[in-house]
Amino acid sequence: MNHVKKSHTDEVGKRSYVNFGHLNGEHPFKEKVPGGRVEYKARYRKGGKVAYFNFDLAKDMGLIAKTHAHQLNPDLEKEILETFSLTIINEYDVINNIKFPEEDIYPNTFMATRYLQLQHPDKAGRTSGDGRTIWNGYVRHNGTTWDVSSCGTGGTKLSPACNINKKFYQTGDPSISYGCGLSEMGEGLETLFFSEVLSKNNFKTERILAIIEFEKGISINVRANPNLIRPSHFFGHLKQGNFETLKQVTDYYISRQIENKSWEQLTFKSDKEKYFYLAQQTAKSFAEMSAKFEDEYIFCWLDWDGDNILMDGGIIDYGSIRQFGLFHAEYRYDDVQRFSTTILEQKQKARYMVQCFIQIADFLTTKKKKSLSHFKKHPIMLTFDKHFIESKNRNLLNKIGFKKNHVDHLLKYHLPKVTKFRRVFSYFERSKSKRGMYKVPDGITRDAIFCMRDIMRELPQLYLAKGTILSHSDFIEIIKSSYAKKSDLKLTEIRKKQIHRFQSTYMSFLNAIEKDHHSSRAQQLLELTMRSSIINKYDRVTGDSITFIVEKVMKHRPKLNSDELYDLATQFANYQNLNPDQKTGSTKLPERHKNIMQNFYSIVRECREGI
Amino acid sequence: MNLVFYSGGNDKENQSLDRSFVELLGKKNPVVTFIPSSSYLSEQEFKSFVRHYSKFKIHRFIHFPVDVPFDNILFQEVMRSDAIHMAGGNTFYFLHCLRKAKLLPQLKTFAQKGGLLTGLSAGAIMMTEDIEMAAYPEFDRDENTVNIKNLSALNLVDFLFFPHFRNSSRYDTVFKKYTKESEKILYACPDGAGIVIRNDEIRFIGKCYAFSKGHKFNIN
Repeated sequence: MNHVKKSHTDEVGKRSYVNFGHLNGEHPFKEKVPGGRVEYKARYRKGGKVAYFNFDLAKDMGLIAKTHAHQLNPDLEKEILETFSLTIINEYDVINNIKFPEEDIYPNTFMATRYLQLQHPDKAGRTSGDGRTIWNGYVRHNGTTWDVSSCGTGGTKLSPACNINKKFYQTGDPSISYGCGLSEMGEGLETLFFSEVLSKNNFKTERILAIIEFEKGISINVRANPNLIRPSHFFGHLKQGNFETLKQVTDYYISRQIENKSWEQLTFKSDKEKYFYLAQQTAKSFAEMSAKFEDEYIFCWLDWDGDNILMDGGIIDYGSIRQFGLFHAEYRYDDVQRFSTTILEQKQKARYMVQCFIQIADFLTTKKKKSLSHFKKHPIMLTFDKHFIESKNRNLLNKIGFKKNHVDHLLKYHLPKVTKFRRVFSYFERSKSKRGMYKVPDGITRDAIFCMRDIMRELPQLYLAKGTILSHSDFIEIIKSSYAKKSDLKLTEIRKKQIHRFQSTYMSFLNAIEKDHHSSRAQQLLELTMRSSIINKYDRVTGDSITFIVEKVMKHRPKLNSDELYDLATQFANYQNLNPDQKTGSTKLPERHKNIMQNFYSIVRECREGI
Repeated sequence: MNLVFYSGGNDKENQSLDRSFVELLGKKNPVVTFIPSSSYLSEQEFKSFVRHYSKFKIHRFIHFPVDVPFDNILFQEVMRSDAIHMAGGNTFYFLHCLRKAKLLPQLKTFAQKGGLLTGLSAGAIMMTEDIEMAAYPEFDRDENTVNIKNLSALNLVDFLFFPHFRNSSRYDTVFKKYTKESEKILYACPDGAGIVIRNDEIRFIGKCYAFSKGHKFNIN
């Protein structure tokens, strides 16, 4: 049986899902950045089942019609499997002359891209990149071009194992884990549940398009995003001083941003203007991203290789992503050889990456690679710092529950008040337990003791009901988290002053809006009560809760088909949608699924203050 | 005691009941607490509730989900509210959570001390002796997803309440049969109809029906 599509035009008119034909290995990066990729032949991988398909995303990408039912049919299933169920024919296969049936081999090659990765001994990106991923191709729909890549499609020569052990591995070799080129169902599900929640909450992120399941929990996890390029795609060539390939990657990336109209400015008078505009955009995106990560307690292991993030600050690779329930600012992941950065160190890493993009712009303009320190005080670095603070201020006002026009007004006319509130907010948010640092299963941490979401949610309703501010002890009673011990909660003079400052500044916002916008204090508090109850919902997902939810899903998996999994993931993301301006409707679920969802809610609730 | 039993329906259908509710509040600038039957997406329900009752010049509200832990400060304000509204949803889950949070005696005291207690559908059934009506009739019942056995509720009135009633022979048959063996009167209210109790005086709003000793009676 011939499983392989020869070309997307082969069966036009006969096929119901023509646009899948574009995902055939062809990608402009291959031609435009020849030094930035490795190409592999691939063969159809038998035995796969569609475990999940993201109908919603597929509609945005134009892969299925807007009116398509959220149900797999035999044609669609066949299309998904023929497109994504593949394994590369890697160096091991070639050297060992392993033969595969001709009819199973895809006509085009698929690329693995090169990028810098700090776990490679080379440390300069000569050997690193997509170690178990290939790019399926791209599709263009409604003015947006989407990249699609698949993880778990076989071991490439860019994997750390290949380069550390200096040998090629057969795909699936049980003697190594990460380097064997396969991925697991659990990884796919974790990315699915986490990315759908974060995407609903306006985080830029990769999203899971499909999961193909094989025996023994092995899977191919297909991801999509309008641009899957990471800073590390630039940094390897920068480190090597490879002007030609660096210019190619940069030009390629910029052309996609222009094509997708992702930037405000789309034409440039000179290369210099274009490359510095890229650096400027990176400064803004990374400032916004690192501020949002801090404010939403997202732990993303940012490091100098720029491997764990997309160019627009979007999240990629959920392996090390966590969301904390409280500001556990000293948590470090233990990666055996070293500890990760903390949530507060992410900003410095993001800033470092921006500095690298200024270095890139300068290098591409002058053809001379100056040292990174040369750009320490470049004006674009100030853009980053300014934008970071602005983003922090905006995030905080949004968290209180103010509407956009009130946020804009407070930022424009009452900035000192906002700054004052941010300081006092940080005082509580960053207060630590007297217990000190201790070990957790995957790292070390020191507990935060206050839950800012609780106070932000309750404050407006209590002010509204009581008509007065809270006493010191009432304030502490509300804000204390389950991590706080009696000794952590002492009402010292400093703490009393901070409680007073917190409440008086909060009130001063209301007074300012009352005066300038003629909106009474009661009206504002009512509006804040409603908005804040959504924004600061009691149950918010954490990294631990996602892990436990995925364990539950894995247990239910044999009985859950792909459509059911789609419904559950969608329902879960709706439940975690904390956008007060979006109406969230619940869909009718069968009784069996209601129980599963109930289980999910309990998990989220139990883990809500953890890591 | 002051109680309002809402069956269900939209804002327009409930106009008369709402007017009675506001009359019973009888106070300027009251505080109204909204207790959802489940915290799941209850923020959206709360928003709709606030938007609706703001039209009656009520501007102070508390959102008080009972299936998540709460602090004593907010709870005290809830008990000081002028009215507490219990929303609709799965009656079994709602009762399970109210009992787990030890709120049944507190709500009973609130009502007995003159606080205005209102309920819609599941919330209204909660004010009766037990929630058996939620499991009845078989073709229109809540699932006992939490598998609770003790169905006793607030027991504030001596009648049974059935919300979302449809005036059809299908319902008539089962309710006649049910009340043949029951000492209690069953009041069945279609959406938009309901019952108002003011100082122990009962008033029916909209077209309501009573089932007693195997017979059906029209009210209003």
